[in-house]
Amino acid sequence: MNKPLNNRMQQREKIIDQLTENLVESTVAVLPKECDPDTRKKIRHEVSDRITFEANVALNEMVTKYCLPETPREEKQPEQEERTFLRFGKNFRAQHMLMFVSVIILIITGMPLKFPELSISKFLIIDLMGGLENSTLIHRVGAVGLILVGIWHLLYTALTAIGRRDFFLMIPMPKDIKDFWHTMLYFFGRRASGPKFARFSFIEKFDYWAVYWGMIIMIGSGSIMWFKELFPKFAFDISREAHSDEGLLATLSIVVWHFYNVHFNPGVFPMSWTWWHGRLTESEMKHHHALEYAEIIEAESKEIRAGQNETDNTGGES
Amino acid sequence: MERASASFTTLLFGVLLLLGTASDSLAMEKCLLCHRKHDLFKTESTGRKVSLFVDEEILGRSAHASRVCTDCHVDIVALPHSKDVKKVNCRRCHYVGNPVGAPEGDLYDQYEHSVHGLEVAKGNSEAPICQDCHGDHNVMPLDSADSKVAKQNVPQTCGKCHMEIYAAYAASTHGHAVSQGNLDAPVCSDCHGEHNIVRHEDPSSSVYGLNLTATCSDCHGPLGVASKYGIKADRAATFEDSFHGVAQEMGSRVVANCASCHGFHDILPEADPKSRINPDNIPKTCGQVGCHPEATATFTSGQIHVDPHSEESGILYYISKGFLILTASVLAGLMLFILLDLTKRARMARRKR
Repeated sequence: MNKPLNNRMQQREKIIDQLTENLVESTVAVLPKECDPDTRKKIRHEVSDRITFEANVALNEMVTKYCLPETPREEKQPEQEERTFLRFGKNFRAQHMLMFVSVIILIITGMPLKFPELSISKFLIIDLMGGLENSTLIHRVGAVGLILVGIWHLLYTALTAIGRRDFFLMIPMPKDIKDFWHTMLYFFGRRASGPKFARFSFIEKFDYWAVYWGMIIMIGSGSIMWFKELFPKFAFDISREAHSDEGLLATLSIVVWHFYNVHFNPGVFPMSWTWWHGRLTESEMKHHHALEYAEIIEAESKEIRAGQNETDNTGGES
Repeated sequence: MERASASFTTLLFGVLLLLGTASDSLAMEKCLLCHRKHDLFKTESTGRKVSLFVDEEILGRSAHASRVCTDCHVDIVALPHSKDVKKVNCRRCHYVGNPVGAPEGDLYDQYEHSVHGLEVAKGNSEAPICQDCHGDHNVMPLDSADSKVAKQNVPQTCGKCHMEIYAAYAASTHGHAVSQGNLDAPVCSDCHGEHNIVRHEDPSSSVYGLNLTATCSDCHGPLGVASKYGIKADRAATFEDSFHGVAQEMGSRVVANCASCHGFHDILPEADPKSRINPDNIPKTCGQVGCHPEATATFTSGQIHVDPHSEESGILYYISKGFLILTASVLAGLMLFILLDLTKRARMARRKR
């Protein structure tokens, strides 16, 4: 019973392979004689792919249904048949929501001031918000929201176990450079598949630290401008330049990069709902966070084994 | 008998006058018979004495040298004429398409809508009509230095009515330069306009708060004449890029414009201890009511018109440059990555099919 995981996975694959082969052969056997070899080959491939997939899904489902202990459900399950994994907890999702609400407010009240001559800027400030007095007030409301997110996230990082774990997983590692290089090779057809990522890929690490940097610049310079009377004018000038430039950089990064990743990417279009329910499907986990997925499955198997050992032991004793 | 003789004399003069139109000099001579006298004057109802002396020499040099008295004073048809002579209506000749070749544009229309024209229309006898600015018998050709509306004479002409403003202007850097004969410096009409002058509260005024930047940058902009005198040509551009400039672009009327800091009629250079932008006075200028009353010397220390794109701005320039490079490279990298990702996806999708 205590066979290593690898063995069990191999066994599983072997069984599925055999099953697939049998089914493929019997399917091909019933094909009409007129079928040309190319078509036969195609059908063979297709049936093979499907059987493998279906068998895997069925097995996983059964394992989840019968073998895994039922965990108390904290989170509402999205309406999906596929097994899902919680990626972002409630706390983290709430941080993200407060953050994007604040940032949207900040962008629509701030960006027009970088391009005051554009008619869209005038529309936003003058027509939509009724003038600069209002828009600067709304900007400060957004600023308070962003500052709160910053404080909240620091506390979350310091005080919660998940926050601490994720923070350490966020730290850039040599593997990220390797993964980046691997991705480039994959893009240029030099690798059959992309790199396998742990909980955070180099892309996600870049996103996270970009926001970190942005928050420091924006909150720092914004505070100096808010309390400008306390500082010399050159501090105000520097802050204004940095605030305006970093604001544009952040806005463009969000619109180009973040929107591509969570909206316009053909894999998630029109939008990934993870920000709302915090979950990834099993296939998403396998595809985007293969190493994390393997870890989770291994941990689960260990649990199962431990449970089975217990029953074995008690059974043995009685 | 007395009356009959008077009427006869009038008739005789009238006939002579009609005949006299054949000879201009003769007609002028008749008028000048009286108006050549230095001590000829009338007393207005207000008690003010008005000289009726006409200087032949000045008239001879004027733009109207070839005209005779009755060309303008059309209500005088007989001699001796009535004491109630009407004011000359310049528009009799100066209209578009006039046959005598009098210069004319839409200036008269502009004047009618100006603050002066509207006041006259309201019946304000103090408000100026053409003659008040252009002169009467001394209307000189435009290029003449004697003209009341020649650039160097404009301040005095306007100052006749706007005395306090004239005093402030004359002491300003602009007024001083003009009095030194420097015609690059602005006179009243350069900022306020001429025939189209409206109140400064009127949004169409060239000195209305929101229009000031444009008006001042005629000289203090990149193509302006001020750069000839060591005044940087980026003053308007750096203002427009500043928070004050942006706020003004967004229609804010409470934010500082050129005049809020520099003054208007009393503009003085920074080095002048009386200047509002003299370093010693800047805290007071920034701290004026409605602006930054909490301003301290710390807050106001440093350059005001700064240009982050100019190397002279030091650290500001490097921050601006740094962010430009950072933004360009980050976005180029991200977009390239997206492009590669999309290409790969497309290739994979095609293979699957």
